[in-house]
Amino acid sequence: MTTAYEAAQLAAARIEAAESSGLNATIAFDPEVLLRQGREVDARTTPSRLGVGGLPLAVKDNICTVEYDTTCGSRILENYRSPYEATAVSRLKAAGGMVACKSNLDEFAMGSSSEHSAFGRVRHPVDAERVPGGSSGGSAALVAAGAVDAALGSDTGGSVRQPAAFCGVVGLKPTYGRVSRYGLIAFGSSLDQIGVIAASVQQAAAVLEVISGRDERDSTCADVDPIDISLDRQDLDGIVVGLPAEYFPSDLDPVTRKACDRAVDAMRRAGAVTRDVSLPHARLAVPCYYVIAPAEASANLARYDGVRYGARVTGQEGGEGVDDLAAMYRATRGAGFGAEVRRRIVVGTHVLSSGYYEAYYTKAQIARGRITRDFTAVFDGGVDVLFTPTTPTTAFKAGELLGDPVAMYLGDVFVCAANLAGIPAISVPIGRANGLPIGGQLMAPVFAEQTLLNVAQVMERVVDGDHELR
Amino acid sequence: MTVPPEEVERIARLAHISLDPDSLQTLTREVGAILEYVAQLEHVEAADAEPFRPGPAKAPLRPDVVRPGGKPPLPAAPKFSDGLYLVPKVGRLDDTG
Repeated sequence: MTTAYEAAQLAAARIEAAESSGLNATIAFDPEVLLRQGREVDARTTPSRLGVGGLPLAVKDNICTVEYDTTCGSRILENYRSPYEATAVSRLKAAGGMVACKSNLDEFAMGSSSEHSAFGRVRHPVDAERVPGGSSGGSAALVAAGAVDAALGSDTGGSVRQPAAFCGVVGLKPTYGRVSRYGLIAFGSSLDQIGVIAASVQQAAAVLEVISGRDERDSTCADVDPIDISLDRQDLDGIVVGLPAEYFPSDLDPVTRKACDRAVDAMRRAGAVTRDVSLPHARLAVPCYYVIAPAEASANLARYDGVRYGARVTGQEGGEGVDDLAAMYRATRGAGFGAEVRRRIVVGTHVLSSGYYEAYYTKAQIARGRITRDFTAVFDGGVDVLFTPTTPTTAFKAGELLGDPVAMYLGDVFVCAANLAGIPAISVPIGRANGLPIGGQLMAPVFAEQTLLNVAQVMERVVDGDHELR
Repeated sequence: MTVPPEEVERIARLAHISLDPDSLQTLTREVGAILEYVAQLEHVEAADAEPFRPGPAKAPLRPDVVRPGGKPPLPAAPKFSDGLYLVPKVGRLDDTG
């Protein structure tokens, strides 16, 4: 039996090797900090919980830890050390888990490529010219590279599932309210959820068990017990899998379609019944998301002003003296935020401003309600889970979409609706094209993670995620 | 949808973000493209719309009792002295945008 110290040693060596190869998946990593945690876990008299005891985990750098700084991949929080740690992290440590490193991300989790980090872009573990997805790209790349078996990420509009799909690993976004957001630095508060990236469905489930459950420090965390997951399903007998037409458009990448067809066939052979369904407001998900998320971000990020946290810029701004408070705010935020964050704050401020609120924000909230009711109607109609592609394409080349934010946003077309509706979803590898992974997504009703993970686990077993498609 | 650079500059000022001329030009183009894309929400029918409420139906509240808070952490502020956050002087009242 491997001790926690031995697991820490192995992870430390693997993270160092991954970073030496140029992955750039970590923002903070100190092998001594990891080894010390290993010694502490081994020294405990209470047994660790199965599955997480002695497990080193990468933690996305927008989740507060006391071992390392929490920068959100931003200059504005460079050198920020949180005085407290996230509930998810505390629970993992209490169960014998270890914080292996802080993983790189798109700044403040805003992005789909992990190119928007003040600390450089994350490389795809298969092809360094490509992106690993985002915003939890560092977490996904580390798991895919075999440096750690599991990692924490955050999923506001697909930021756990999309990088998991691009990197060929499992990405789980729990129900909104399943996992406490305490210590997760806020981006879009009605959408944000801590999620798990792991090498297997079983590993993701083990982490979810530990981090889930009520938390008096987060009033949006549901008043329910931690989930106890039994992955006991051997087949899909009696399971109804819905296939929403809107997620299989005629212009879907042919290889992605082929991978989905193979996965659907395999699920049918395992006993599932498939049903064609419709989510009529699905086309509104991306525009709805890109109004609500920036609106919430513009409010949440107002706190970074050079007064209470992180960096303060003291230079000259447009001839204004920096001994002026408003000029200091503007100089600090102008220099401290990167281009994507500035863009979203400006869009968010605009859609909330007088004269535009009704046209954008109110309409987006109405659309959100309709998108949510579409899901409810399908699930109430007897569908247990929905199956879709996770992403429209495989990992794209770095720089390819940087100059076209709308094209980048459209990559979230299959993932962001789950955040709008608050439902749980998971991405599982279902094949490869030219060596690049393809992910299949399952979505389930709120708090139906038991079903979701059981179906995902069978799918993982009956679909060869490494099968090369042509 | 074209958004004039003056409007982007005004919004950026409301959001307390300074922009150099090059950034303003790029941002104007990109924000215009984003707003043009999300404008399809205009066609969402507002009649019979139920407001969306995220999260649990009822927010759980913790008991309202006094508990020891422990030692407050050291502030992470760039400038802090004698229990005070130090900031530049407040500018003119009309300076906020």
